[in-house]
Amino acid sequence: MMEIGGLSKSYDGRPAIADLDLMVADDEYLTLLGPSGSGKSTLLRLIAGLERPDRGRILLNGEDITHKPAHLRGLGFVQQNYALFPHMTVAQNVGFGLANRLVDPVTDPAELGRRVDAMLDLVGLSGLGGRMVSQISGGQKQRVSLARTLVTEPRICLLDEPLGALDANLRERMTVELRRIRETLGVTFLHVTGNEAEALAMGDRMIVLDGGRAVQVAPPDEVFGRPATARVARFVNAYNLLEGETRDGAFVSGADRLPLPAGVHARAYAVRHDAVEIGDQAPEGWPAIEGRFVTAEFLGSRVLYFFQRRDGGIIEVERHLSQSDPLRFAQGEARVLHWDPAAAHLFGEDGRRVDAAQGGRA
Amino acid sequence: MAAASVTQGAAARRRQLLLLAPGVIWMLLFLVLPLAMMVYVSFWTQTTFAIKPDLTTKSWEAFFSSTTYVEALLRTLRIWLTVLVITLLIGYPTALFIGQFVRDKTVQTVLLVTCVIPFWTSFLIRVLAWRPMLGKEGAINIVLMKLGIIDAPIEALLFSELSVIIGMVQIYVVFMVGPIAFMLARIDPSLIEAARDLGASAWTIFRRILLPLSLPGVVVGAIFVSVMVLGEFATASALSGRKVNLLGNIIVTQVGSLKWAFAAVAGVILTIVTALVVTLLLRVVNLRREL
Repeated sequence: MMEIGGLSKSYDGRPAIADLDLMVADDEYLTLLGPSGSGKSTLLRLIAGLERPDRGRILLNGEDITHKPAHLRGLGFVQQNYALFPHMTVAQNVGFGLANRLVDPVTDPAELGRRVDAMLDLVGLSGLGGRMVSQISGGQKQRVSLARTLVTEPRICLLDEPLGALDANLRERMTVELRRIRETLGVTFLHVTGNEAEALAMGDRMIVLDGGRAVQVAPPDEVFGRPATARVARFVNAYNLLEGETRDGAFVSGADRLPLPAGVHARAYAVRHDAVEIGDQAPEGWPAIEGRFVTAEFLGSRVLYFFQRRDGGIIEVERHLSQSDPLRFAQGEARVLHWDPAAAHLFGEDGRRVDAAQGGRA
Repeated sequence: MAAASVTQGAAARRRQLLLLAPGVIWMLLFLVLPLAMMVYVSFWTQTTFAIKPDLTTKSWEAFFSSTTYVEALLRTLRIWLTVLVITLLIGYPTALFIGQFVRDKTVQTVLLVTCVIPFWTSFLIRVLAWRPMLGKEGAINIVLMKLGIIDAPIEALLFSELSVIIGMVQIYVVFMVGPIAFMLARIDPSLIEAARDLGASAWTIFRRILLPLSLPGVVVGAIFVSVMVLGEFATASALSGRKVNLLGNIIVTQVGSLKWAFAAVAGVILTIVTALVVTLLLRVVNLRREL
């Protein structure tokens, strides 16, 4: 188990990580979602010991490792660019940590070979041990990099955008593989990504990092269904986010007025793409916005419709084709977009969620 | 269709040959031909006042039966090896500092340029400047005597093999630093971080990652230094008081006294030695793969 408390790190006075608290359990898959510049790579480097924090501490199983050098921490770090040693074979790369670590190195060549082979089997690279790293593909390099770290049996394995450089097809296969490998070994994965779909799909729990802080730590379905801040709603990329202010018990954004529950004061209003309905008229008391049809995007099982609001903003509507037939609209056709008041997510002055009596669909 | 591609292939081949021609002609005229000529002349008959194109092995026999010349050959090899080892011992740590410990690219460039500053003065001045440094009443002896470390000046400092080696090391060490620093600076810092994260100590990282990855730079540097030191004559004559004769000095003297055949023999031997050394060094690392 790893506990991080009050961790801070600035570069030239600009905070990259600000007072971050985090608890990482044993044997879990934790994904860390953050836009670029949110400090996610810095956090990994601080945990791995490749950077020194300004303040705060990191406890690993109760032991303070904040100032321990990287090579004594017993953590694994799979770098984004794989960082394979170009002058070694695949097997030499994988065996590097075991053979050369300062603490408890494996000196018996037979034992070393056995453990390297077992790890190559696990990541699906059996028989490639003799190849030079320049002779294997990108996806294979990814696996070598992973194997090289996992063979040292780290207590926590840190993965910096591990799927970022792979093409879509390979990425999908690797997501399944990563989960399988993790479950086989029972090691904790801390997987950093800028891709919301990846973070949602892979994690047992998910951390959303924004401005150097963990703004939400929760299972993926909760992050997706009840974003803690307006910016989290933006990161998960499934919400129409309207900015505005509360006037006379209604949310006013541009030319539109949306009813609010009594006593709620909101500065941002979010509604999921798939909660919006398209019609001629809204049911009594439902929030509604008039929009002109711009275009539709066919996504196989779903269709995304884009409507332009009167003040220029875009509202996206998602309809699943298993539940409805595709709709056809003429360019510029005006429709009334409306939704159940219970589907509204409201965020206050500080960007945090404001829960009214109805509280959304939680 | 097939015919068209054949003519197209022929055209491409013709264009290739045309592009190759200037280089090939240049090498033939200014490298292969002179080399062949040198080998040919080394077998000409040399008399005191004239040289005739009658083939003989007299000059070769004279070279290898003279202790002066064989000694010069051995001395050349000895000084080359000494200078090579010392430039490596001084050059590698310097390059390691510039290439790995300085992470700022601008500072790296500034430091490398600093290494080259001595080259802004002429070769002769750089060599001759060692005389007031190393001489019997030179700077080093004066300082050592003032400090009371020695009683009498060290005479072996100047006009000896030592002074030749000191002079050559100073001039050529930068050719060792440059290529090694270049290779070290090219190493992706994430490799070192990965090695650290895998538990390796600084020494292991140097031995297993930095050293093997910088080896091509060492080989290139060694080739630079070797080729230049083996053909040296100026440093030797300026700093040894003509006591230390290298193969290069022999060529200069023989050409000066119009003994062309003899100079050609020394030239052929020097070329063979240089070629052997370069071949040997290239055996260490497959440069084509590594660079």
